[in-house]
Amino acid sequence: MWRYIVKRLLLTIPVLFGVAFVVFVMVRIVPGDPAQIMAGQQATRELVEGIRRDLGLDRPLLVQFADFLTGLLRGDLGRSVRSRAPVTEELAHRIPNTLRLAAAGMLVATTVGVTAGVISAVRPYSLVDAVVMVVALAGLSMPIYWSGLMLILVFAVWLNWLPAVGSDSLAHLVLPATALGFSSAAIIARMTRSAMLEVLRSDYIRTARAKGLAERVVVNRHALRNALIPVITVVGLQTGTLLSGAVLTESVFAWSGIGRLMVDATLNRDYPVVQGAVLLVALSFVLVNLVVDLLYALVDPRIRYE
Amino acid sequence: MRVLAVCLLAFAMLAAGAGAGAAPAPARGGTLIIAEGSDATTLDGHRYTDSPTAERMEHICETLFWLSPEGRVEPRLATAFTFSPDGRRLTIRLRPNVRFHDGTPFNAQAAKWNLDRVLDPATRASFRSLIDRVTQVVALDANTLVLLTNAPFAPLVLNLTHGGVCMQSPTAIERLGPDEYARNPVGTGPYRFREWVRGDRITVTRFEEYWGEKGHFDAIQWRVIPDDGARVAAVESGAVHIAKRVPPRDVERLRANRALRVEVQTSLRTIFIGFNVTRPPFNNRRVRQALNYAINKEAIVRAILGGTARVSDAPIAPGVAGYAKIMTYEYNVERARQLLAEAGYPNGFRATLHHPVARYIRDAEIAAAVQGLLRRVGVEVELVPMDIGSLVAFTNKPQAEATHQMYMLGWGTVTGDADYGLYNLFHSSQWPPAGFNRGFYRNPQVDALLDRGRTTLDQAERNRIYREAMEIIMEDAPWIFLHSESQVTAYRAEVQNVYMHPAERLVAMQGFFRR
Repeated sequence: MWRYIVKRLLLTIPVLFGVAFVVFVMVRIVPGDPAQIMAGQQATRELVEGIRRDLGLDRPLLVQFADFLTGLLRGDLGRSVRSRAPVTEELAHRIPNTLRLAAAGMLVATTVGVTAGVISAVRPYSLVDAVVMVVALAGLSMPIYWSGLMLILVFAVWLNWLPAVGSDSLAHLVLPATALGFSSAAIIARMTRSAMLEVLRSDYIRTARAKGLAERVVVNRHALRNALIPVITVVGLQTGTLLSGAVLTESVFAWSGIGRLMVDATLNRDYPVVQGAVLLVALSFVLVNLVVDLLYALVDPRIRYE
Repeated sequence: MRVLAVCLLAFAMLAAGAGAGAAPAPARGGTLIIAEGSDATTLDGHRYTDSPTAERMEHICETLFWLSPEGRVEPRLATAFTFSPDGRRLTIRLRPNVRFHDGTPFNAQAAKWNLDRVLDPATRASFRSLIDRVTQVVALDANTLVLLTNAPFAPLVLNLTHGGVCMQSPTAIERLGPDEYARNPVGTGPYRFREWVRGDRITVTRFEEYWGEKGHFDAIQWRVIPDDGARVAAVESGAVHIAKRVPPRDVERLRANRALRVEVQTSLRTIFIGFNVTRPPFNNRRVRQALNYAINKEAIVRAILGGTARVSDAPIAPGVAGYAKIMTYEYNVERARQLLAEAGYPNGFRATLHHPVARYIRDAEIAAAVQGLLRRVGVEVELVPMDIGSLVAFTNKPQAEATHQMYMLGWGTVTGDADYGLYNLFHSSQWPPAGFNRGFYRNPQVDALLDRGRTTLDQAERNRIYREAMEIIMEDAPWIFLHSESQVTAYRAEVQNVYMHPAERLVAMQGFFRR
């Protein structure tokens, strides 16, 4: 097990190296010049060239890449072109915000998703099932910038129950977590439903029922646990999406996290910040995948890692 | 030394605020929360370029002179100025007994240190060009500063109103170094910097030892809310007191809300579509004029901008010193067709229009409208949307390499002087990559006039010079002259004496809450 974990962690190194290279090249292929953007639209040529020299952008690309890699090995991601703050610092004070939002979103998504999926599966093709699945479809189809605004409109502007924007307190977390979690909840609900339906048709469920077990025990202990493998996969994938794809939620709810940092940095061609943020997201994807793989073994004792 | 002009400045502004008598008495206390779409970029007053940063910095750091919303130069850290008879020596009297937030005295030495810092190319000061004709700065005594230039430079005093040459504590910059200082600014303003949570908020608190009328708010906080709808919802729900850049579509609805006050302030930013005048078909003046006639500017302002903009009648906006109403190409499809035929394009032609997305108010929608209107005169325009960073880089190539045909951009005449709004855009010395004349316009007459405008000190004479230059420019039509933007701002009703400056900055220095 430990050997497996170490092996997987070692494998992340080439992945991250590849990501670093691709991002490094991509941000530079896109037209636009950080020095020009920093100097402003109305800047003189001398100023733009001076800034380019200061930032080392006048050096050959290979030299810049080598520089970036050596910095990376030391844990130094460089300084933001724009704010002049170290990139690690820029990332560090946004990570907790993004983690909080993603965790709360995940909580909403799994709680609502799994519950809705189970309810639907237990009474397939009933009215409840139809309602749950229509809501799930709606959740999946609604873009977050719309559902987010609707939540703000109803709960902040009309009812005045919750704060509209910001990331100061627990109350601030409710609306963005709901908006963010809802679309993932829809996916999880649909996945849970189909996995449960399949499991509920299997022989050992018939056996469990034949033994005279209470339906609650059959569903929760015997069926749900066996239906969890595909659900965990989806939850894992959704976690990655929540970590990186919270861009829209972060924008709508003025939540200062990694997603928005990435968008702003891209628009400003803040190369070091884009590189740092993408590496961070890539790393979190890899780690989430590892955790998902390990969870399989936990849920299904037949799965073993060597 | 015989003094040509002694310009003692009125101190009326200190007591005035806005329309003194009728306004309620200022109450102290509270934190004003302002919502804006973007965060500051750097808090080094000499290195920012964007108006969101300018607004925050203006409450922290002050300039020698201040440009009033009406376009008057008023005293701030300077109290008076005189030009020598030959116009090459500007003597500035500084306000005595002023201290920076860190206790460092503000005097001629500190002012000289700041101007020298801006002038030093190694600083990479964004607005060095505003004062780059100054050859030497001399601290004559504790409160007298002298600026020397090789030739008279008329816009100098106006340029000193720009936040890009504000006064910052030399001690703080030297102690922290430029990178660290850029996150911990120290000025002389009525509010002092407290914290910057990047991407989220900037907070300033009242400076109790301020030399002038002290701030009434305990603190002012700028919150970043990028989404238009969320920003508007935030001010409706009372989560913030002010929402900036309200989308035109929300104006009517918000006006019906009695808890809010919506104000539309014209700005000094003009939006235009430039032509690369060195390549066919746009090297033909008739073609450029035809396209001006083909665009229904009033309809664009009315339908797309909800009436919150002003159709351009000159290359610069009213409120800029030197502005004069010149003319507007009225919407006339027949005239446009006729001019195109005369120019040898009876069946029109195809062209590309590069335009920004989400940089100017509804820029992409305006580009689409232009495309539709030009189709009516037979000109098929392909739209190429770009983010502003890419667009600026794309149009910044030297003439021989430039491939752009039509490009939509805007220009904020932030110093409030025609020189800044015309020289950079129409003088032939400003072709890319040196300057902002991105359509490669060249007219020797205009060049000569713009040169004269710079060195003439008499404002009435300058007005005449700029009027003549603008008449030629309008006739030459190197742009489709569209409109100047307005800033739509929503305020909670209790917010008093906070207003939008035409230079796109919110001024909250003397604001307060009505109790």
